[in-house]
Amino acid sequence: MSLSGVLRKLPNFNAIHSHLNFLGRIARQQPYSMYQPFVKEPTYNIEKLKELIESGEAKKREFVPVKAAKSDHNVSVFHDELTSKFINMVMEKGHKEIATKLVETAYMKIKQMQLAKYYKATTDEERAEIELNPIVIFHKALENCKPVLQLTPIKRGGATYQVPIPIKENRARFLAMKWMILESREKERKVHFPERLAYELLDAFNNTGKVVKRKQDLHKQCETNRAYAHYRWG
Amino acid sequence: MAVLRELVVFPSKCFRGVRSFFFSTPLSQNGSLKLNESVSKDGHALDFEQSDTKKISKAMKSYMERAKIHDNFIKQQLHEYNIGKRHLANMMGKDPEFFTQEDVDEAISYLFPSGLYDPRARPMMKHPDEIYPKRKAAEFDVNGRPYHSLFYTSKPNYYTLMHDLAVKFKQLDRHEDKIISRGIQDQKPTELFLFGSEWIPKQKIENVLLESLTDAQYANLIKTFERFSQHPYSAIEKNFIMQFRRQLAAQVEIQQVPELMRDESGRPYMTYNARRKTSNATVKVTGQGTGVISINGTDIHFFQREQDKKQIIFPLQFSDMLGKVDVAATVDGIGTSAQSGAIRLGISMCLRSFVNAETIERMRLAGLLSFDPRTRERKKPGQAGAREKFTWKKR
Repeated sequence: MSLSGVLRKLPNFNAIHSHLNFLGRIARQQPYSMYQPFVKEPTYNIEKLKELIESGEAKKREFVPVKAAKSDHNVSVFHDELTSKFINMVMEKGHKEIATKLVETAYMKIKQMQLAKYYKATTDEERAEIELNPIVIFHKALENCKPVLQLTPIKRGGATYQVPIPIKENRARFLAMKWMILESREKERKVHFPERLAYELLDAFNNTGKVVKRKQDLHKQCETNRAYAHYRWG
Repeated sequence: MAVLRELVVFPSKCFRGVRSFFFSTPLSQNGSLKLNESVSKDGHALDFEQSDTKKISKAMKSYMERAKIHDNFIKQQLHEYNIGKRHLANMMGKDPEFFTQEDVDEAISYLFPSGLYDPRARPMMKHPDEIYPKRKAAEFDVNGRPYHSLFYTSKPNYYTLMHDLAVKFKQLDRHEDKIISRGIQDQKPTELFLFGSEWIPKQKIENVLLESLTDAQYANLIKTFERFSQHPYSAIEKNFIMQFRRQLAAQVEIQQVPELMRDESGRPYMTYNARRKTSNATVKVTGQGTGVISINGTDIHFFQREQDKKQIIFPLQFSDMLGKVDVAATVDGIGTSAQSGAIRLGISMCLRSFVNAETIERMRLAGLLSFDPRTRERKKPGQAGAREKFTWKKR
């Protein structure tokens, strides 16, 4: 492996007083990464890899070095990319193990609750309606929580207006996850995080609950501020 | 000279900066008459013109002298270099006729061993062209007239290149029009394959053009080249474009897959020493196995965390070698992630010898064969940590 072609040299830090400025400039121009800008992200998902190779994109990457796979990448049957992202967002101070435990306990809780419903059900139709896979529930719940518009402050004539603008896919996913986590971390700690998360996810799956309400409130605000939409273009 | 007669009538302001001899004579009626007179009389150079050409040629003279001195100097250096090469060859007992630059480098490092860290500070003997920066040849003639039409842009070579690109672009357009007019639209033009190479950096272009460029000018040049290479028929100008591109490091090291070795019982095996952060792992993957994993004597439960165990299995599962090979690894260093990452890299690198080229490429795209260069970021002065700042106080 030729490291010299892949790594970048770190910048020098000279005077303290100009240091922050310097960092700021670096932050804007180049991210502070150990990799050179042309090094590509790895693709470990087998289906995506297949697509890459079949479409011919992989041939273009023949000469481009690829970054090392992260610690939470794997090809296990139980691996879910969205869950990995979610665990990262739940994690605080780098305690990945604790975050993983919390989310997996939440999934277990969801499975237990759904199983209880399943065994209580009497007819086959009822049983068919009950979703047992917590990953599927998690995905559907996030979908229901994703906002479609967001508000951004735009200054016009001295006053700052909250203008509704379309939202990007990544941002919508981020907001859904963030709200989910915030609602699960409530003040009274009698009910712990995994249980709360499980309840919130199930509610969101059924299009009810606090997080979905939060999304709908945002949509309502966007609706009321419809008049300012043209401020987006000045 | 006919033109001169007409121009003399106008006031002196118009001729500022064109030729100095318009100022040297007073622009009076007499003067103009004199001029006309001298012009009409005979064709050869006038008195005042002679004195001015002497002025110009003095500047030119010193320029020419400097250029001559430099040329002689380079010639001298070249002569000394060639002689020196022959001496070296004699000293090293080699044939002076076939003494290459590599041999010279070897000889110098043998005869003048240096403990200096930077290779550029060590003694060297290279061709004068490599040591002394190239200069442009005389850019104007004895009368001060520049040879290049774009001389007064101060970067004639750069602007010539830009103009060339524009001209070639138009030529490609005309070619495309011709093809369309002939009705051969269905033929897809050969695509210019630029993957595997990148535009040469600013420094290299400056060496080629012998002119210094600003960042903006370089960016502009690259933008123009990009636009040019995106033309459907740009493959016609492939040679021209490739002059300004350099090949990227084709992943040669990864392609040099080592051959499998055989142990006493005849089983194939491969070893690799892998690193991640401060952990070092020595991994031995043995073929014809049953999936036995041993890490520092114990099995996979050397790692308590699920994540670390998954990392060990990742390359095996990815390349479908899960129950087919045995893995024996020894690892040291602090940090479970670093240890498992090092072992993962070791397993991946060993597996290259067991699988086909397609799977190796897939592993590379998945990031399994890349060394992880991420290390702990250093603390900076004036800050509490790598990124954490001290408490900001307004006053």
